[in-house]
Amino acid sequence: MALELTPDAPGGAATRLKNVADQLLPYLIAVVVAFIVIGLVIGLMGFDVLTAYSTILFTSFKSKNGLVQTLLKFVPLLLQALAFTVPLAAGKFNIGGEGQMLVGAIGAALAGIIFADWPLVVLLPLVLLASVLCGALWGAIPAWLLYQFNMNEILTTVLLNFISFSLVDYVAVELFRDPAAGHPTTVPIGAGGGLPLLISSPPLHSGLILAILVAAAVYIYTNKTSAGYELVVTGANPRAAGVFGIPVRRVFIASLVIGGMLAGLSGGIEVAGSHHRLIEGMQSNYLLLGIIIGLIAKGNNLAVPFVALFIAILEVGASAMQRTLLIPGEMVFIVEALILLFVLLSDVFKKR
Amino acid sequence: MDQAQLTNFAKLVILALVPYVLASQGTMLGGRTGIFNVAQEGIMLVGASVGFLGAYLSNSLLVGILAAMLVGGVFGLALAYFTTTLRMNQFVIGLALFFIGLALSTLLFKFAIGVTLRPPLVPTLPNLAIPGLARLPFLGEVLFNQNGLVYLTFIVSALLYYWLYQTSFGLELRAVGENPKAADSLGVNVTLLRYGTAIAGGMLMGIAGAYLPMVYTGTFTEGIVQGRGWLAIALTFFGGWRPHLIFLGALFFAGVEVLSLRVQVIGSVVPYQILLMLPYVATILVMMPAFKGVRAPAFLGQNYDREKRTQV
Repeated sequence: MALELTPDAPGGAATRLKNVADQLLPYLIAVVVAFIVIGLVIGLMGFDVLTAYSTILFTSFKSKNGLVQTLLKFVPLLLQALAFTVPLAAGKFNIGGEGQMLVGAIGAALAGIIFADWPLVVLLPLVLLASVLCGALWGAIPAWLLYQFNMNEILTTVLLNFISFSLVDYVAVELFRDPAAGHPTTVPIGAGGGLPLLISSPPLHSGLILAILVAAAVYIYTNKTSAGYELVVTGANPRAAGVFGIPVRRVFIASLVIGGMLAGLSGGIEVAGSHHRLIEGMQSNYLLLGIIIGLIAKGNNLAVPFVALFIAILEVGASAMQRTLLIPGEMVFIVEALILLFVLLSDVFKKR
Repeated sequence: MDQAQLTNFAKLVILALVPYVLASQGTMLGGRTGIFNVAQEGIMLVGASVGFLGAYLSNSLLVGILAAMLVGGVFGLALAYFTTTLRMNQFVIGLALFFIGLALSTLLFKFAIGVTLRPPLVPTLPNLAIPGLARLPFLGEVLFNQNGLVYLTFIVSALLYYWLYQTSFGLELRAVGENPKAADSLGVNVTLLRYGTAIAGGMLMGIAGAYLPMVYTGTFTEGIVQGRGWLAIALTFFGGWRPHLIFLGALFFAGVEVLSLRVQVIGSVVPYQILLMLPYVATILVMMPAFKGVRAPAFLGQNYDREKRTQV
């Protein structure tokens, strides 16, 4: 039931290179075809197609501001995608990254507000740790329901998203409301809870480095360790894995909890890096984009960061397009869904 | 609660039942041939958007409903093609269709209507009192003085029950979801049935979506479906993939929805956020025992390849 994960190519450098090229070609075709389709639609609606294309693709590179915006989007997208791909490796679909992110953000905000006067060396790790633990908890609930009651994880993770929305509202309205803000928002966390900046103007926080380190750790875990191997084997064929003594149901649990930790961290980084508070609606559409990234990368954790960066570029381009050309940003979402579909289709036709 | 309030409450529950039952019967139908649709939320969103636009632009609610049904059917067709003909992973394709539905619903609305502060409205579905039956005490008002889609929901559920359990065609259909290889060898056209149920299921989901603007809001908004599509999957499991039990289970889902809204309006000591969580928490709680004993179709979520030797 799991996707076919693409293992590291065996053989020498030459075959390796050819293998990479073989895998990249379908992506290139998928992107081109998706853009052609969407260009036709945009053209038929009477918009300038070429300007739209260049806005979508190059806004990120035209200014320092665009670049920083792209990197800031890249961080949560990368972590959300990994929160999806790690359980996917075990054959489990985590559609709850949104809820796990929000509950992680709640944990981070509560820690940062309650201990606001603590110094950075203590508070920042505490804020991030709180987000990871809360995310893990939110991932552990569907894991437990799966283990104990065999309840479908797609369902439970989604339902927990809806519950988390109300939790955020409760914290941001009833517990620590910032009366100055018009929108449900908590008071800011202590200064010591903020991630240090890499660049001050426009601000780029160091969550970027943290996210990349985490992505590297996830790649090593899933592709280079025996625990990660158990994960992949379980996803490929749970029955066979069980026969060979892998505790399959425990692997499912672990994969969903790790997914929750990663999504929770994305919430913690948003609070500690970008907003310095909990804001209702801060989850944006990161969950859906994270799933799309994970699926386009076909669950390959080495490819995930690159796909995430590409999607971040498209997303920044999409909002610029909506602002300057008045073309709805959802258009880019269709592009992303089409790329996904074409990438998946290319596999089907390669097999024939 | 006096008599009039009770009647009113029961009537609202029946009203709220419709989208759950339609989407869930659609899910059940596909599942009975092994196709596990997880795009309900997206298909219902498109149904809501297209249903609203169709009704608004043509000035006819019926046209809107038919348009939503058509679009839902196209989504079902796409699901069937990618999973049955191309044998791609059902959950991945389902999620992809969910994304497309989500984006398309907003996009269509924005292109047709634009961004406005005061969105245009369509009239709500009129109540059609059934002569005679509507005059029954209590039940008449609750069951037989409702809009047409409520009756459609009754009829669809009854027909599905009859069809699945009282006809040989229904037996064939159920066989496909349990053991397609055996069904195939007995001359049942597995591919055709999978296409048929996926398309019919998508149509029901499309209507379920169109119901929302036509009964509750009068217009399309991005948050209109509010997880009902996902809850419909839960309901399908809760009802054990059986049409009559799905209908009964929907009473619970609709009851919780109406209750949580009512208590919010009346006001209570419980914070409203807790009430908003209620439908989702209640669903998870009732699913705990339900999932342990549930009998889902054995071939659910899998793709059939007649050339392969090992199946199930």
